[in-house]
Amino acid sequence: MPEDILTGQKSLFETGVQTVLRGQENRIRKISIQNGNLVTNARSEGSGICARVYLKGAYGFASTAEYSAEAAAKTIKAATENAKYLDKFNSEKKNAYPMIANSYVTSPRMIIDYEQKKLVDICKEVDAYIEKNYTDLLSRAVSYDEVTMEKIIVTSDAADGHVAYPRCRIIVDLGMKSRDGQPVELFKMFFGCGHAGEYFADLNPIYEGIDELYKNLKDKANGVYAEAGLKTVILHPDVAGMIAHEAVGHTVEADLVQGGSVAGANLGKQVASELVSIVDFAHTALGKDAPFPVYLDDEGVVAKDAVLVENGILKGFMHDRESALFYGAEPCGNARGYEFSDEPLIRMRNTAVLPGKDKLEDMIASVDDGYYLLGTGNGQADLTGEFMFGITCGYEIKNGKIGRAILDTTVSGIAFDMLKTVDMVSDSMIWWAGMCGKKQMMPVSTGGPAIKCKITIGGR
Amino acid sequence: MADLQKVSEIIFDYIKTKGDIKADFSINETETNEITMKDGKFTLFRTLFDNDIAIKVIKDNKKAATSINKFDKETIEKAIDEVIASAEAGSPDECFDIAPGLEPKEFFGKALTPDIEKLMNRTLELSEDIAARHKKILLIEMFAKYVRGRSIFINTNGTRDDSEYGYYEVAVEFAGNDGTASTGIAGSFLRFDNLDERLIDLGSIERDLQDAENSLNPIKISDKFEGDVILTPSCAAQMIGGTLMNSVSDYVLISKTSLWLDKLGEQVASPLLTVRNKPWDERIVVHEVHTADGFRAEDYDLIEKGVLKSFAASLYAANKCKVKPAPCSGFYLVVDAGETPYDDMVKSVKRGLIVGSVSAGAPGANGEISGVAKNAFYVENGEIKGAVIETMISGNLFDMLKNIKAISKEQTCDGMMVMPSLLVGDVTIQGN
Repeated sequence: MPEDILTGQKSLFETGVQTVLRGQENRIRKISIQNGNLVTNARSEGSGICARVYLKGAYGFASTAEYSAEAAAKTIKAATENAKYLDKFNSEKKNAYPMIANSYVTSPRMIIDYEQKKLVDICKEVDAYIEKNYTDLLSRAVSYDEVTMEKIIVTSDAADGHVAYPRCRIIVDLGMKSRDGQPVELFKMFFGCGHAGEYFADLNPIYEGIDELYKNLKDKANGVYAEAGLKTVILHPDVAGMIAHEAVGHTVEADLVQGGSVAGANLGKQVASELVSIVDFAHTALGKDAPFPVYLDDEGVVAKDAVLVENGILKGFMHDRESALFYGAEPCGNARGYEFSDEPLIRMRNTAVLPGKDKLEDMIASVDDGYYLLGTGNGQADLTGEFMFGITCGYEIKNGKIGRAILDTTVSGIAFDMLKTVDMVSDSMIWWAGMCGKKQMMPVSTGGPAIKCKITIGGR
Repeated sequence: MADLQKVSEIIFDYIKTKGDIKADFSINETETNEITMKDGKFTLFRTLFDNDIAIKVIKDNKKAATSINKFDKETIEKAIDEVIASAEAGSPDECFDIAPGLEPKEFFGKALTPDIEKLMNRTLELSEDIAARHKKILLIEMFAKYVRGRSIFINTNGTRDDSEYGYYEVAVEFAGNDGTASTGIAGSFLRFDNLDERLIDLGSIERDLQDAENSLNPIKISDKFEGDVILTPSCAAQMIGGTLMNSVSDYVLISKTSLWLDKLGEQVASPLLTVRNKPWDERIVVHEVHTADGFRAEDYDLIEKGVLKSFAASLYAANKCKVKPAPCSGFYLVVDAGETPYDDMVKSVKRGLIVGSVSAGAPGANGEISGVAKNAFYVENGEIKGAVIETMISGNLFDMLKNIKAISKEQTCDGMMVMPSLLVGDVTIQGN
């Protein structure tokens, strides 16, 4: 990231408007080895400056790929002109946001950029392990992706700062033929909030994960279709985290609440079992660094945790400064933009169901006839709270014991109905590193314990 | 505006100093103007200036790629040094290649001169039309934009393409809402090249709004049955796209997980179905000029009367799998219209659904899919009985293509694809 040339531009901010100037660089590294072929070996760097200006209820925004004091001045001017242009159409003028105390925020972790050879070699090593140990696969793929962001934020009436968001992931995807000759696949992700040298210096944890993935794939190759209907299930933490993000998280983003989300009428009401609490953590979760720590958002709000559901009661929404003013709430630093040219939107950070007191083995033993759902590829939910998740890995539970594996299926339900059926929550906690696609892409993390509930399973 | 010619010379001259290297690169400059409207009011106006250089090199049969968004000599030369170092770290593979040299050519799109004031007025008019025609629609958010770009593509075999393009887009997010109940979020998207018509009359916007309004007070299906499903054009695009990704794309060809790997020239779908990939169709607003490998992009058929005619392979995948590279890189799907009027299609359904989209996990190579039917309506004895909620459909994408019973006469075009409705039989429908 170039030096901070933006702070000196504050004198160009017009009075009577609220301005944020942001310099940002995104670096992407991608490597993919497919069946031993290095098919992707790519890097990209994108950086620039944007300015956002708020005037009486509307925003002007401008961005440029140049990074210089002159470009910053032009960007501020263009954004201010855009705000004034929109003001002509604005018949209902709004007040300015309350000021936020000025401070300077930095994140403790900055970005370390490795040469591509080191990253390629890591992937080759992982691929060689799979090729050597598992010879009956139909397909194998090892992918490395790294999305790092670094931002300098300068505001007229909030906090300033210089923050970085490094993250690297390795995704292993294995495939084999099922007993009836159809291709079946499973994938597993390994990740860390930091750089490859820190998280992938020792590959043994990845090898152990691959061994487990292969076992699950072998089981799935002999798997059966799930029986359709409302079933008692144990959701693995990866799946529970998806519920926290998709089924609850999006419905309590204040912009979607204003759009008519089911959460709007349920603030302060029981929306889940008393065993369920959900928090969108800023940077520290349960005494440890959160997987995607956010210290300062793109409006200059110092980030802190947003409590969404506490003991089953819907306690609050996630806000930007505009929605916080509308709802009389305090913003917690949820406004983020993905690229330098993106305006900040209300986004989740590290959204998790909090762990309970049950042991996973006791939870499984308590199910007479149901499923243990371990893996999900993606999920969606809408304003009504109706959600679905694809299930890529799961097992039957019969008389308290794990049974046959199941083939790919989908689970669905209404979030606030399903969460009321939760009657056990494990004492474990596992995080997942995902990308959220609400207008712009955005790295997020989700997490949770295993939970026992009733859910609708799709089947043949 | 930047001097793209000068930038291209910096790149070309520096690559030439690096010895025996195959390379191609594109230089792009774009300006975007975007308006956001919430609750019937303009809330954000963005002006974005961006640059992009994408460089691909092959050295000693090792390939790497990079992209940057700076046009200065120092940054460009550093990026070239790094991408060559990346390639050297790779693995040699004789299947990596670039297209042969072609005669230089220039391409010009239609909407090269924007009218932002008129775009503002058309956007405002759309919000007023929605308010007037659809009293039970809550307009959540609307984005309207104009994008103008210039691009140069060059490869070391002598190809040079210069292109200029411009287009408008509108995306509308809304929900059915009668003050007490709300439907799920719905949307409509459109790409277009002029502002001559009211936006509500274009693409599927009017129909999508009607469907959302009609989705209030849904009914529940309580049983599970095998039935007919009418896939609306946007849902048909979702299903056909999912099938193609799992059958003809690079990933499944190279991994050999495609179930169509040895099906070229064979019947893989109903004889009613013809799927063409047509970047140069006049209804497609932004044309693909060249493939990712540097061949001039051309229209081609993927499936003709149910017979698989081509894979969508890149040059690398084609060399790897000993098939022909596809004549274009993107998907600009044009599905031929059928002979059945849409209303007759609905009347023919004894028991089933009309489905606007399927909220489902990404299907795997075996094509199995199950998901929640969204913007969906229950049909019994040829009559639409009402919207449904908490209803799932399950099936196999490859079987669905074989089980197409009718294709509508009517097609919908959103500027990026042209699609009719499809009537598919034997789909598992499961209520709650």
